[in-house]
Amino acid sequence: MTKILAAEDDKLISSSLCEALKVAGFEPTPAYDGEETLAKAKEILPDLVLLDIMMPKLDGISVLWELKSNPATAKIPVVVLTNIGDVETISKIVEAGAVDYLLKSDQSVDDIIQKVKDVLARSVNLA
Amino acid sequence: MIVNILLIIDFLMLAVVVSAYIYASLRERKYLRQEAGQSLELQQKVYQAEVLKEIGERIGYSLDTNKIVDIITSSLGNLLEYDTVSYMVLVDGGKAVFKCHVEKTVNHQFIEEVKHKMRMSYEAILDSKIPSQSMDESITGNILDDSLKVKVESFFNLPVVISQKLVGLINVASKERGRYGEEQASILYTITNQAATAVSKLQAVLQSEKGKLEAVIYSLADGVITVDLNNQLVVYNPVIRDMLGIAQDKAITMYDIVDGLAGKVDLRTKIEQAVAEDKAITLPEVYLKDKALELTIAPVKDNQGVIIAASAVFHDITTEKTLEKTRQEFTAMMVHELRAPLTAVRWSSESMIKNLSLASGVDQSKVKDTMLTIETASGNMLELVNDLLDVAKIESGKFELNLQQYDIVEVINDQAKVFRPQAEIKHLTINVIAPPKYMLKFDRVRVGQVLGNLISNAIKYSDSGQIDINLGVNAEEKIATVSVKDTGIGVSREDLADLFSKFKQLKSGDRSRKGTGLGLVVSKGIVEAHGGKIWAESPGENLGSTFAFSLPLEK
Repeated sequence: MTKILAAEDDKLISSSLCEALKVAGFEPTPAYDGEETLAKAKEILPDLVLLDIMMPKLDGISVLWELKSNPATAKIPVVVLTNIGDVETISKIVEAGAVDYLLKSDQSVDDIIQKVKDVLARSVNLA
Repeated sequence: MIVNILLIIDFLMLAVVVSAYIYASLRERKYLRQEAGQSLELQQKVYQAEVLKEIGERIGYSLDTNKIVDIITSSLGNLLEYDTVSYMVLVDGGKAVFKCHVEKTVNHQFIEEVKHKMRMSYEAILDSKIPSQSMDESITGNILDDSLKVKVESFFNLPVVISQKLVGLINVASKERGRYGEEQASILYTITNQAATAVSKLQAVLQSEKGKLEAVIYSLADGVITVDLNNQLVVYNPVIRDMLGIAQDKAITMYDIVDGLAGKVDLRTKIEQAVAEDKAITLPEVYLKDKALELTIAPVKDNQGVIIAASAVFHDITTEKTLEKTRQEFTAMMVHELRAPLTAVRWSSESMIKNLSLASGVDQSKVKDTMLTIETASGNMLELVNDLLDVAKIESGKFELNLQQYDIVEVINDQAKVFRPQAEIKHLTINVIAPPKYMLKFDRVRVGQVLGNLISNAIKYSDSGQIDINLGVNAEEKIATVSVKDTGIGVSREDLADLFSKFKQLKSGDRSRKGTGLGLVVSKGIVEAHGGKIWAESPGENLGSTFAFSLPLEK
């Protein structure tokens, strides 16, 4: 089953996101802060990471840089899911190597599932 | 702009003074003309009046002593016979100016002699030496002929005193022996004296006006400088030092100003541009190390409309810019905090719709879970919106209290009871240390809100230990103090000051313990509306903290 690491510190959002991923046939693993995200990414080597930006202990952009600089996790596609929509943050996200970013409140769960499927299909083609 | 307006007022006042002076001399002249011809003495007086008027008109508004003495000297031809008329003035920096007008041809030796006599006299009055190498000389008028065998046979020196200060020496010299007697000396004395008196008055008025102008410039909150066309700094006020970080103990030069601007503005070019285009230039945002400034550079004109300098006004906009930035940060934070529960509500609703339309039938337990998520998320959002509304009410001064006599201990116990289940999840105990009953006049709901906020924060920021709620009464200061002490993560010294301000989110600290920080802002507003105070103490990070508020005993 396709493993998705869902990094999201808001428990309510996390549970509704994981629920939707499960319904869509994925195997979601929640992580509630930046450090936990890094640890779980190394541990389970997910097929894709859905990454929040504003997270305790380590923010999403730092997590992204860490993931990209570690050869073991560098190839895992990362889709940023955030509610911060300012240009500065977006450019930082793109610079750090995210495949895409989505503004949480603009997306329905179906949009996110579709995005996950698209990104996964693309990375399979590339491989 | 103020500088320009003041300069115009300045010149208007001067015009009045000078007109009065000219009017007075015209009247005197008219009177004298009628009497003229009756006696030689009177005729002499007419000449004197003429000369005085001419001097008055030519001096105009000038306060350049060099020029004034020059004008007086060159007006003496009508009254006195001489071969040379000269003056010597000391200018800034101890330099002497010697000017000689040759009316009738003499030789070089003659002029050297005049100069020597003047210098001796000047030095005697000043009681100090005038170095001959620093003498600025000029000789005008008739040609000099060294074949002439002439020397100074008669002369006299006359000091020119303006505003009780010796500004120069006038000399008339002749190759004829015994040319000057008391009569001529008296004429020259009268002329110079009257001219000098008029100029003194003028100077006094100007000084007083200049003093007022300087006082205004000095008291301005904006930094002001004036730069002449040679790029020399001629006026500045003390504020400019703080704005540009210039040391207090030395005079400021243009170099200091340019240095203070740290290459952020090419002031010289801007000044040149303002002068060349004859218009004001505004630089709306100039960011220095720790300041934001608005700069306005404008040409300065004299009363003839000729540009004589440029002024630059430095307006500090640091506070506005900082406020603007924190406001933006606050808005961004609020948007983020409002989006989070909305996102949870939206996604949960979507999941539920899917669940409800499942062919396999509705999973009741999942529906319940999802409904709980929606309930919690919407509750969080409502709390946030209520806090925002409260803050708005507090800020607009429309915060109303329902003040009644209540037992504060009962309110404390009620709140402790509400939060105990939450505290127990984190293995925290809540203790109330208070007398059995204490009556106070306060808004029961609002003070309960404050207490609830402090207790919920204490739980949020503590992972172990206990929360002590204490009621203390100080009869002397007539206050009751409620404190909530925890054993949590504490607050750093720099964060303590910002805890109760709206636009400040703690820079350090753990973001896993979410919150907008609005609760404390609202609490502060509630307590202050009661006439009380709210504060926080913490020995440092991870050393726990105490949040307390006081309420007045009588109100």
